[in-house]
Amino acid sequence: MLKITWVLFLAVIGLGHANLIRSATANDDYWSFQKPVRHPAPEAGQLQHGARIVNAVDAFLFQALEKHGLAPAPAADKHTLVRRAYLDLIGLLPSPEQVEAFVTNPSADAWPRLINELLDSKHYGERWGRHWLDVARYADSGGYETDIYLRNAWRYRDYVVKSFNDDKPYDQFVQEQIAGDELWPDNLDLDPKRVYHITADQKKHLEARIGTGLYTLGPLIHESRLDARRLHYETLTDWADTTGSVFLGLSFGCARCHDHKFDPLTQTDYFAMQAIFASSKEVEIPLMTAMEIGDTRQAYPKIVAIDEARKRYRLYEQQTAGKTLSSEEQTHKEKLLIDIAQKVLALPAGAASVPGTRYDGLMEIPTVSVLGHEQPALLKTVHRLERGELYGMKEQIQAALPGALAQATDSEVDLPKPYGSRKALALWLTEPDHPLTSRVMVNRIWQWHFGRGLVATPNDFGAMGQEPTHPELLDWLATEFIERGWSIKDMHRLIMTSSSYQMSSQHISEKAVQADPENYLLWRMPRRRLEAEALWDAVHTAAGTINLKMGGRPVVPPLAEDEIASLRDTFRWPVSADPQEHTRRGLYILVLRNFRFPMFSVFDAPVSSVSCPTRDVTTVAPQALWSLNNRSVFSQAQAFASRVRKEAGTEAHDWIDRAWMIAFARHPTDRETREALSLMDTLSQTDTAAPVDALAQLCLSLFNLNEFAFTD
Amino acid sequence: MNRREMLCKSGFGFGAIAAADLLAQDGQLAAATEFNPLAPQTPDFAAKAKRVIFIFLQGGPSHIETFDPKPALQKWDGELLPESFREFDLAQTNTADGRLLGPLFPYHRHGESGLEISTLFPRIGQHADEMAVIRSCYHESFIHGAAVTIMSSGTILLGHPTVGAWVTYGLGSESDRLPAYVAMTDAAFTNGVACISSGFLPAIYQGTHLRTTGAPIMNLTPLKELGQDRQRQLLNQINQWNTRHRDARPHDSRLDARIANYELAFRMQTAAPDLIDLGSESQTTRNLYGLDGEETKQFGGMCLLARRMAERGVRYIHLASSGWDAHGECRKNHLENAKKIDQPIAGLLTDLKQRGLLEETLVVWAGEFGRTPIMQGKRGRDHHPYGFSCWMAGGGIRGGKVIGATDEFGFHAVEDRVHANDLHATMLSLLGLEHEKLTYLFEGRERRLTDVGGSNDLAQRLLS
Repeated sequence: MLKITWVLFLAVIGLGHANLIRSATANDDYWSFQKPVRHPAPEAGQLQHGARIVNAVDAFLFQALEKHGLAPAPAADKHTLVRRAYLDLIGLLPSPEQVEAFVTNPSADAWPRLINELLDSKHYGERWGRHWLDVARYADSGGYETDIYLRNAWRYRDYVVKSFNDDKPYDQFVQEQIAGDELWPDNLDLDPKRVYHITADQKKHLEARIGTGLYTLGPLIHESRLDARRLHYETLTDWADTTGSVFLGLSFGCARCHDHKFDPLTQTDYFAMQAIFASSKEVEIPLMTAMEIGDTRQAYPKIVAIDEARKRYRLYEQQTAGKTLSSEEQTHKEKLLIDIAQKVLALPAGAASVPGTRYDGLMEIPTVSVLGHEQPALLKTVHRLERGELYGMKEQIQAALPGALAQATDSEVDLPKPYGSRKALALWLTEPDHPLTSRVMVNRIWQWHFGRGLVATPNDFGAMGQEPTHPELLDWLATEFIERGWSIKDMHRLIMTSSSYQMSSQHISEKAVQADPENYLLWRMPRRRLEAEALWDAVHTAAGTINLKMGGRPVVPPLAEDEIASLRDTFRWPVSADPQEHTRRGLYILVLRNFRFPMFSVFDAPVSSVSCPTRDVTTVAPQALWSLNNRSVFSQAQAFASRVRKEAGTEAHDWIDRAWMIAFARHPTDRETREALSLMDTLSQTDTAAPVDALAQLCLSLFNLNEFAFTD
Repeated sequence: MNRREMLCKSGFGFGAIAAADLLAQDGQLAAATEFNPLAPQTPDFAAKAKRVIFIFLQGGPSHIETFDPKPALQKWDGELLPESFREFDLAQTNTADGRLLGPLFPYHRHGESGLEISTLFPRIGQHADEMAVIRSCYHESFIHGAAVTIMSSGTILLGHPTVGAWVTYGLGSESDRLPAYVAMTDAAFTNGVACISSGFLPAIYQGTHLRTTGAPIMNLTPLKELGQDRQRQLLNQINQWNTRHRDARPHDSRLDARIANYELAFRMQTAAPDLIDLGSESQTTRNLYGLDGEETKQFGGMCLLARRMAERGVRYIHLASSGWDAHGECRKNHLENAKKIDQPIAGLLTDLKQRGLLEETLVVWAGEFGRTPIMQGKRGRDHHPYGFSCWMAGGGIRGGKVIGATDEFGFHAVEDRVHANDLHATMLSLLGLEHEKLTYLFEGRERRLTDVGGSNDLAQRLLS
């Protein structure tokens, strides 16, 4: 029904094609399989609101609005803009000083300068990297019964953050993830001769290879490891589907069982995609030089000593089992226990030959899980499977590009074998005239700015997805992206400096509400609820407790008893020792597939078993329960109150002003100040026998306001 | 606009339509019901069953020892399986050299129907005329994690919605103060909360883990620093500010929904503790469920809560019984586990019936698979997905019947084979939902709980 409405709507407003569902044969000319065509942006002089046009983004959007007699909303006020920019680009609340600096800056370039400052912040990569991790179905464990710990997944997470911060060209980002090893083989399956040094080039190539970690962090059936054939098949399925969703914006999944009903993707195309990956396997490579690894071997007796100390303790335990220990015996037993601990503490934390090189955990060589090649003797063939069933094996399939798409780029369909087909795939995907790669990515960038893509189904540019609301703008952006060297930061600049991005979200035009209630045409800025991690970060930024340390092993905040109740083995939630780690950014919190961090789960963090292009935004009562009753939220409210007292002196008025500036980037109205004062009074008087910190309660209430959880 | 399609296609504005029934109560949004994803829905066709109590036996109870008598197997005890079975893989044993193990418990005929049930479940046996036993279940995986995923979401792939999520999506909620989909366990859920996940459906359809001790639902207890009175004052101020914020931002029902949710949360703070407070239940009821028996009190408590939830309009109730993975001594394992659940489940059936709830409550009993006819270790049995049993009662089912059969060894389901997809299609059908119509667009395809399967829908035969 909605689909029909949507089609009619598009037809009425003259966008897209009304003929949304076509037969498979008619699909060879499907729009997304054609190269983007760059139309010149409409001329400002021809448009009613031309004076407000900053760049092509406005020109295309305004033209569509004007066609329907609609006008763009006026610009948002500067308080709204500064909060919008901070939360959008770095995912952190601006401090009151940062707000003041922007709103009092009269210069015309204050806004572009703010954007540049934020793009230069290393926290930008954390915010935008997290978006990418949704698409990459990132998790730190494998799911299913045993939910095994993927101890190196975080290196891929840090790779993503760094790639965004470095403004790594997107074509390179794609190439690295699909074929970092095949494109730049000189990385680290460590050369034994390379005793002390890894050259700068090799380091770069190593980074590229960490990108292939994308393929090592999918769901993993671990139990028994006996169903080997099925496991291999499920892995290839994950790899092919992930490649399709992430880079091509095409859902391949259906073609596993039958030729795609609507897209020109055949079952053979699907298994050919699996075949591209069939000669690859996950490998774990060390991140240390041979010299540093040598150091661990040298120190290995210290590990043996721990084992012996443990045996010594166990032996004594056995000898004295069932016996009441004398005080000497008790002392002896404790000494044995202390001996284990001392021997653990005596382990070196890093390599002696290169100071500053750290081991993982208890003297483990740091490693990374990446893609490598299966040995020739062990290669398995890929076959078309009838209905996708393992026991329905049909003809053998060779690695190849999807036929219809390869045709669109005039590319050779067959790929090298048995190795090198990933490289060929990656290079083909990043050809400048590839019809999908740049469109799919600019659409994702657009979605992460506006809440909805120009194509509302970012992982489905096929016929079952939605057509673009602004096809010419999409193509203009896709070509511009390539012209600007696939620079994602440039796309942010372009989009955010447009008048359209700076529109008010509060603007109401009855005409626009009637004509386009869903705001498809972007007549005003969409309002957005903070995602789970952003909300977590906002609470801790407001409280002043956020620890902005970057990267490293996932952190594990403590959980209340009711929060951890659903976890079978609590050892899977090894709480970080240092309390400072408990207030790291949400991005760094351990992602278990079987046990999402409870607050994130309540606020719609993705399940992360398959690529998640768009998060749901649900509104459920457990969200309210979290922000009202959760103990860690309350302790953040207390910290918020302490911060306010420290920063704003002794007057309650000033506290309130400060709190509003911190939480909402604006000053309170007089009425709000009166109400806040009165709330604090009421709370204090309600039960004088049990006094409360009324300011902390006020701060708690701010965490519960829609103004806090949404960006205008 | 159709709600399902709205959800499917909008992809963006989901929050815009959430929790609107609450707004309707408060008169805040005229079109509320239309847009509320949890509003009660009219099924595709009239059906007796309105809700489900799914009793899930984690670890895999042996069909041979419970609901599928295999007297012939006794004479094969100690023999090898015939050649034709040898291409089939098992988890930890080998079909080529595994020795068959005869049934470990005798069977009795029960009720007027004479349904055969093993001596493990004498009390459940008293409900034989209410029960339909399906002896021909099967699926593809002999691994716990994957098998649980198949039995709960119809596919081996992670990230798909579970039956409870689909049912909630299809039928909505009948409670304005309790979650629609609730899960309880006597130990822990295999696969963790993935076994009650909403998968790619919106998170509003995910199961809520309800605990019987402490706070029943996460974050339910008001902060002790506040207490209910002050919390109410705080809430009033929050509401006032949120309402004013909303008034300046019309046409954004997400903001309304959030305001309404604070009131729902406030009600839940009372409703959920009331639910788990069994103080008002009579001694007769306590005895019925075995609440005072050492072995039965835990699962009995869960079964009693299931009835209380059924009364309060909870749509889908998942009860997990743990420990059925009898690789070692199957006899000992099954005796111990059966003692914990026999009386509670029998009590639940009796109680539902006497309160007139059984007709509208579908009770399903199943594990993730059965156990092998061949022996493992010291008279134990390995995982077995090729043929196993489950049963259903209530929801209009005419009991006392058996559907399907395994071969003489209890190895393959051979007659009237019922895949997990068929089982799910049957459950949906009994609830008045057509499994081919209950779809959600995800990754370019109208997804179904039953994927491309589900053609063996047993509902008509169960009802007649």
